[in-house]
Amino acid sequence: MSILDWLVLAVILTLVIAYGVYKSRITHNLEGFFLSNRSMPWGLVLLSIMGTQASAITFLSAPGQAYTDGMRFVQYYFGLPLAMIVICIFFVPVFRKLKVYTAYEFLEVRFDNKTRALTSFLFLLQRGLSTGVSIFAPSIILSSLLGWNIYYTNLFMGGLLIIYTLSGGAKAVAYTQQLQLFIILSAMFVAAVIVVQKLPGRVSFTDALYISGKLGKLNVITTGFENGKFIWKDQYNLISGLIGGFFLALSYFGTDQSQVGRYLTARSLTQSRMGLLMNGFVKVPMQFGILLIGALLFTFYIFYDAPIFFNQVQLKKLQQSSYRDSLQIARQHYQAIQNEKKAVAAGISALLHTKADAKKNEAIDKLKYLQLQSDSLRKKVKDWIRSSEIRGDDNDTNYIFLRFVLDHLPEGLVGLLIAVIFLASWGSIAAAINSLASSSVVDFHKRYASQKKSDEKEFRLSRLYTLGWGVFCIIVAMFAYNAGNSLIEAVNVLGSLFYGVILGVFVVALFFRRIQNGHAVFWGALVAELLVLVIFFLSRQEKIQLGFLWLNPIGVAGVILFSSLFQAAFKKTNRQYVA
Amino acid sequence: MLRNENEKPPLFKSWTAWYVLLVIFLMLLMVLFYLFTKKFS
Repeated sequence: MSILDWLVLAVILTLVIAYGVYKSRITHNLEGFFLSNRSMPWGLVLLSIMGTQASAITFLSAPGQAYTDGMRFVQYYFGLPLAMIVICIFFVPVFRKLKVYTAYEFLEVRFDNKTRALTSFLFLLQRGLSTGVSIFAPSIILSSLLGWNIYYTNLFMGGLLIIYTLSGGAKAVAYTQQLQLFIILSAMFVAAVIVVQKLPGRVSFTDALYISGKLGKLNVITTGFENGKFIWKDQYNLISGLIGGFFLALSYFGTDQSQVGRYLTARSLTQSRMGLLMNGFVKVPMQFGILLIGALLFTFYIFYDAPIFFNQVQLKKLQQSSYRDSLQIARQHYQAIQNEKKAVAAGISALLHTKADAKKNEAIDKLKYLQLQSDSLRKKVKDWIRSSEIRGDDNDTNYIFLRFVLDHLPEGLVGLLIAVIFLASWGSIAAAINSLASSSVVDFHKRYASQKKSDEKEFRLSRLYTLGWGVFCIIVAMFAYNAGNSLIEAVNVLGSLFYGVILGVFVVALFFRRIQNGHAVFWGALVAELLVLVIFFLSRQEKIQLGFLWLNPIGVAGVILFSSLFQAAFKKTNRQYVA
Repeated sequence: MLRNENEKPPLFKSWTAWYVLLVIFLMLLMVLFYLFTKKFS
């Protein structure tokens, strides 16, 4: 990075921290610290919800995802607007009526304390670990690409945001997220414009889309059916996106305190609802835009030399292994194909505005064939990286967009895009730490304390928990570096393992009035969790074919079924006892 | 700070209108995405 890039990075990060601290004037009590005195307008609530959901990986991974697998990933968000509606109708009014601080307080009112403690504990476990990985994931990418020390990068990624999160709580988190999102979306737009501008003179924006589309990268809608059969293992298609995505979004926005804590800061029920509904309107188009950058990047890398593998650290490992000569040959072959692709694509763009359909189709078929050859060479390299000798990370999706930024953006803009990574991380991590502290204080510390504390003491305690969770998440990030990919994978699937069951408990609480027994729900949730785990391990061992999104509806159905059964069993036992 | 929780939504007379609008918007997006996929595939 140049001095100008460093300067841009430093100025933006300092500006955001200073803005967060400036907006930190709050009342010294729990409501001030965790809910910003329930005073936020819907615009801020919307940006806070979006800033919490969009982590650094969202902006790094989505373009890479479109580059490798096409734009069909957008279908993952199709269930989100429907989930927003359900949350607005059923969840928000209950939370606001009870004036809760955390979503889990409602479960004690509805069932009992142990059901509240169980769901809050599952949230703390999953969110605490995943926030640590949220710090580590962008840090390792920056560290690999820029040669930064991973420990210091983790410290900057997870540490600096604690300054404003500690001083201003939920209010500072929301205001900084507003500024962060503005900078992030502007920078992504600039990056997209540069991708198109840098295409060779004759290739227009629509030409780039045409080439990308012909090579299967604009597959926004896919049905998931192959030869008349639905592929359950397929993660991203219309049906899994609508059903699985709906349940995932319902659990995340309806029961995850990191999101519930955002819309509980609204000044009224109307403002909470408007924030959530507007999120339903803007999320899918926003993701489409980010994925489109990746699809355009794909055409860009036909005309510019794409690396055979985008993570240079893993390539260096290969160069120092017994695969060195094979890699050399593969690279030469890849380069030759790349040159041919460049010539064919240039020919296609020249033919696009003519009526020479036969020639055009012939050139497209040639390009498809060459792309298959490139993909097969990339696969070979990935196999070597995954081999027992290297044991490296064979997924370079997260590196594709940043590689473009570092190699092709002008000075100053590189610093801006690196700042985007930090800001996107800070937005989601700050909200997560704030919610971890609120659940710890409200659901456990305050709930089980023998004496009532003064407002000032509770405020100080909340700050202490915020600091504690911040340190914990940084430690997890440091540990993730030593533990390697296995921990990251484990944490990434953790959400899917718990979300369905947590949502199931809330669904029973809201929609199954006849289930009153707290014991029934508690044990029903535990058995349902066991069922989800068994199905997950069976699918990992490929005994059954199932995408992870389906674990959410299974968890929900499991809790409903087992709670009903336990309720009936307990009733029977009670009747026998009375008799 | 809590205001009247039964206040009406902005622009429309009821929340149902907002919900229907969001569903229509989602359906429209899916149709547009389908046409986009068809055009460029």
